[in-house]
Amino acid sequence: MKKLSWYRPWHPWVFLLPTLIGLFVFRLGPMIFALFMSFTDWNIMSRPHWVGLSNYKELFTDSAFFEILKNTLVFSMIYVSGALVIGLLLAVLVNTKVKGVRFFRAAYFTPVVTSAVAVGIVWGWILSPKYGVLNYFLEHLLHINSPSWLGDQKWALLTVAFVQTWKMVGYYMIIFLAGLQSIPKQLYEAARIDGASKSQAFWKITLPLLSPTTFFVFTIAIIDSFRNFEIIYTMTQGGPQYASTTLVYAVYLNAFVFYRMGYASAMAYVLLTIVGLLTLLNFVLKKYWVKNVY
Amino acid sequence: MKKLLFVLLSALLVTLLIGKTVTIKYWMWDPTIKDKVEKAIEKFESLHPNIKVELTTMEPKNYWPKLRTMAFTKKLPDVFNMSSGYLEEWVKNGFLMDLTSYVENDLDKDKFFFNLFEAGKKLSGTDKYYAIPFALVVTNLYFNKDAFDEAGIPYPNENWTWFDFLNAAIKLTKDKDGDGKIDQWGFWLYGRYANIEPWIYANGGRLINRNTMRFDPNKQAIDTLKFLTSLTTKYHVSPRPKDMKGIKAKNVFPMGIAAMWVDGSWNIENIRRIADGKFRWGIAPVPQGPCGTEKVVFGWPDFIVISARTKHPKEAWEFAKFMAGEGLTIDMYMAGKIPSYKPLTMSKDFDEEGKQPPEKGKVLRELASRKLMNSFTMGWGEWRGYGPAESMGLNGLIDAVLNGDMSFDEMLQKAYENINKVLERYYK
Repeated sequence: MKKLSWYRPWHPWVFLLPTLIGLFVFRLGPMIFALFMSFTDWNIMSRPHWVGLSNYKELFTDSAFFEILKNTLVFSMIYVSGALVIGLLLAVLVNTKVKGVRFFRAAYFTPVVTSAVAVGIVWGWILSPKYGVLNYFLEHLLHINSPSWLGDQKWALLTVAFVQTWKMVGYYMIIFLAGLQSIPKQLYEAARIDGASKSQAFWKITLPLLSPTTFFVFTIAIIDSFRNFEIIYTMTQGGPQYASTTLVYAVYLNAFVFYRMGYASAMAYVLLTIVGLLTLLNFVLKKYWVKNVY
Repeated sequence: MKKLLFVLLSALLVTLLIGKTVTIKYWMWDPTIKDKVEKAIEKFESLHPNIKVELTTMEPKNYWPKLRTMAFTKKLPDVFNMSSGYLEEWVKNGFLMDLTSYVENDLDKDKFFFNLFEAGKKLSGTDKYYAIPFALVVTNLYFNKDAFDEAGIPYPNENWTWFDFLNAAIKLTKDKDGDGKIDQWGFWLYGRYANIEPWIYANGGRLINRNTMRFDPNKQAIDTLKFLTSLTTKYHVSPRPKDMKGIKAKNVFPMGIAAMWVDGSWNIENIRRIADGKFRWGIAPVPQGPCGTEKVVFGWPDFIVISARTKHPKEAWEFAKFMAGEGLTIDMYMAGKIPSYKPLTMSKDFDEEGKQPPEKGKVLRELASRKLMNSFTMGWGEWRGYGPAESMGLNGLIDAVLNGDMSFDEMLQKAYENINKVLERYYK
């Protein structure tokens, strides 16, 4: 092939420039600014005051903060395990050649593209103790005295985490589905000839060969699990008391309701550190369980 | 040729004269009445041809963060709306113009409920006028007349005591279909400021000690809180907040689930909409507590203020004064908001004849004339638990008692700790 005479090695950068500018101005810039802010006391309207580490000190001596941190991790655990287990289960189910399977794929994916506000409102209604459909069934058909799912301290966080998982699981299903379809069919044929059962094929072929996809889902599900603002805002507003307040909701409250930008920035940096460490850990552990198949 | 020159010169002169036009920027927080405000501005401009007004309206959710950013970048609009809860913070940060000399020399005081100007002075934490009130909201008791008639109880009036109230609430709490579950509660309350504070002040109580600026409820306030929480935990005439989840708190009364409710007068519009004529209802003052010696009302004004950095203070004052009084019409007020401008409040239009509740004009006018009480401080939204933080602060703690998750004493202990932690940040 003839070499292009006008090509220079720096040319790709020209095409990358708009993205890079966007990245610096809208992502990196605010991140650096927030780091600076986390060492100040700033109410948005007057000049920020430098307060050193006092925002971080306040955070780590506040009992409410530890409750919020715990809620964040519990939410994440429910979400990530739901994404992996149910996501994979749904993917396996819709990976069959049953009539109407396309309909089910679309149906499971619909909540992903539905607005979180709408999801929150509909589920809020389903779960209402007085007029809710769920409690009606539980009480009239199964004769179970059901709790106030969103109003009870013990249940609120679990319920919101469940709804968010329900909403997003279709997304992970699609990714798993793509992974499943890229596994060569011959392997299953060979296994069948060797007399392997369906479950053996799943554990010995599907799961190991799917591990790069699983790794990808695991990583982004962890990151996504911290982004739960909308569903909490519409369903519980963090209540009762702090029972369903997670870090992002607390950041929102402190920044845009209490106008404590410095404190909120410190909180956001704690969140960033957690997400960063978990992602890093994930990549370190990758070599122990992810098969390099491709 | 000479004629043409003459025309050109006159045109130049006119342009120069018009060139002296001053532009005032005005920000307000209610986009739903934008067209009505625009009409008022047109009227103002025709009365003051040298002043042009640029209007910006925004939902409160966006209004406050944007306004704060504008303050930080020194680009505040000349005139803007201000709520009672933020007035002190804005005054203390030096963003508002001192209006004392204008209020004293250039205002027809008799045309306003002047106690609202005084309320603004008190809220600002200074002895100057920084804000012109344009509306007042108060709190009152809502009651379901049909439910009262059915139970054979006389309607609440201004002489009602806690005893009368509790008696009525017990009689109004009913299991109508005999399934062991209450279908109509006597009363509805949760930890919200407008549900709780009206009772405290009507019993001579206070939450904040204004001398120390700390949460320091007096005995009357604690007794009131005990009485209110006992309505749910002891007398069972009000549902637990967690059992009402999934229903908007402001819809419990209009849906007929509770026969009485205490909240802000601005709920009148929502009750009309949700109840939709299904039952007759009325309003009355909040019952006076056993220690309440003075007739007071829990309420607060909404204000219009002028930026301290405005280049046109005189014009801004003219406009702000106009937008707090003579420029306004009754249809710019949501039902239940009371104009501070007497000609509007005293007009027949304010009564809204033919609409529920029939006694609206009479009761609200009487309440507006009472001494105004409230508990706003800097950081109020945080310690009280307001808006998106409604499940927290004092609101969340009271709800925890009502839900049976916390004892009363534990609630009070936590309230002292948590609230004073917030107040200590603002008042060293």
